[in-house]
Amino acid sequence: MRNRRLLASVPCLSVFLFVTSAAAQYKPVTTVALPCESRYQEISPAGDQIYVHCPDHTLSLVNVGSGAVLHSFPADLRIIGGLYSRDGSRIAIARWDGTVEVFPTSGSAEPTVFKSTARSSACAFSPDSVHLVLAPINSPGQVWDIRSTPRQVATLQQDFGGVSDCTFSPDGKLLVVADGDTVIRFYDTATWKLLHEYRGLKLETFTVKFTPDGRHVLLGGADNHFTKLDLAASDAQSLTKDTGVPAEVDFFGSSGQAAITYYDGEGHAPPHASIWSLDSGKSTPLPDEAKMTGGGVVHGKLWLMTAKGKSLDIVEYQ
Amino acid sequence: MGYTRRELLERCVATGVVTLATSTSLSSIAHAWDSADNKRSPTPWCELGPFYKRDAPNIAVMRTASDPGLPLSLAGTVYSVSGEILPNATLEIWQTNYFGHYDNEGYRFRTMMKPNDKGIYGVESVLPGHYPTRVCQHVHYVIAAPGHKTLTTQLYFSSDPVFDGNPDKNFSRDPLITSRELVRPVMLKEEQKQIVAVVNFDIVLEKA
Repeated sequence: MRNRRLLASVPCLSVFLFVTSAAAQYKPVTTVALPCESRYQEISPAGDQIYVHCPDHTLSLVNVGSGAVLHSFPADLRIIGGLYSRDGSRIAIARWDGTVEVFPTSGSAEPTVFKSTARSSACAFSPDSVHLVLAPINSPGQVWDIRSTPRQVATLQQDFGGVSDCTFSPDGKLLVVADGDTVIRFYDTATWKLLHEYRGLKLETFTVKFTPDGRHVLLGGADNHFTKLDLAASDAQSLTKDTGVPAEVDFFGSSGQAAITYYDGEGHAPPHASIWSLDSGKSTPLPDEAKMTGGGVVHGKLWLMTAKGKSLDIVEYQ
Repeated sequence: MGYTRRELLERCVATGVVTLATSTSLSSIAHAWDSADNKRSPTPWCELGPFYKRDAPNIAVMRTASDPGLPLSLAGTVYSVSGEILPNATLEIWQTNYFGHYDNEGYRFRTMMKPNDKGIYGVESVLPGHYPTRVCQHVHYVIAAPGHKTLTTQLYFSSDPVFDGNPDKNFSRDPLITSRELVRPVMLKEEQKQIVAVVNFDIVLEKA
């Protein structure tokens, strides 16, 4: 749930905290033993695995049920971050030197390792996990076929500035890329050809997501606005001006609710996270008590995590 | 003395000091010699950063009289790697104000400009503040020119306290600084009864 570009551009960033208190809104899921006193974790969409950032810069893949460490990466400041595939069956770990490792989360096979020509983060898996899109920090996006021997199948054109975020449509036919040059670009995933561009934004988009019905693309970024693009009409609708800079949007449930994580690079006041309704445009700050250290959407539900020492509590937002 | 390259070649050929082994003209040899001498290394890239804003106004004076902060006079020349000046380049330059705040609502401390016919650009600003999640003070650039690769980079100041007066040793304290070359010397001058920080930052673009 952390924005790739913001993380890559600000390595010391540590301000993404969920702040909540109303216990009644949360159903306990489980408690997991951690290998360290971690300040940040991310959970697989399958809910069976977390990856844990430790203060010594090691990174571990931990089984949620048993607490067993499935794999541990040695301390490496070059690790930009990890990305789970949509079904949670794989995780991609990207490093600043361009190396990408794709692990089966089952631990049943060796990782697939390849090296990009650019310092990149892992941006999006295609829904079938055949393709992985990399988001270079200073060059166009790259599409890799990660079956057997990985190979780059496309370079996504742009003016300049690297890739901020990207997402595939639910049916996998479209790829939407938010580039650093502020342009939103739509690609046909059969050919990787550019279909059209949206140049209506003056500031960068940090998060791009398809709405649950797959008919719209929701953009949030440095202008503090959400913009909804209608794919059929190529029409843009500027939605609410939010209380902060949206850095990440994750839809959950069936009623168009989204968890919003805010970029707080300038030390602005909370909220750092909120629940937002696509229908009403209303944003509700989460109550502020316990400090959440991670989260994600698991089987359509919003799961939030709080690390206390070497123990991690996982709850489900009701 | 003070011969042009061509005149020097002519004299050398006439006196037999240099022999032309081919039918290549003196002009083309002089041009090739000039080009070889003028070659420049491309300016190192640095990342775009999250607050680039499209369509900034064309202004050379970004500071107003009421802006706090040390006045900054930033200038340089835009070249190609072969040493040609590039007056058709476009520079987009932006930074925080003295307090380390980017103006995302408007266009304060943002400009999009062209150099003059000698390839020289200049901007009047203030020394930027420290943006909270960045280590060093910096100024962002995007430079584009026909036939050349667009460059995104950042300028840093040798006077930044982060370097403890030794940018050669300490420039990597900011992990985003890709090259020592991007840390520029700062000269303090008195202009119209105020101290101004003067920084030169030449830009060299690679061919597309």
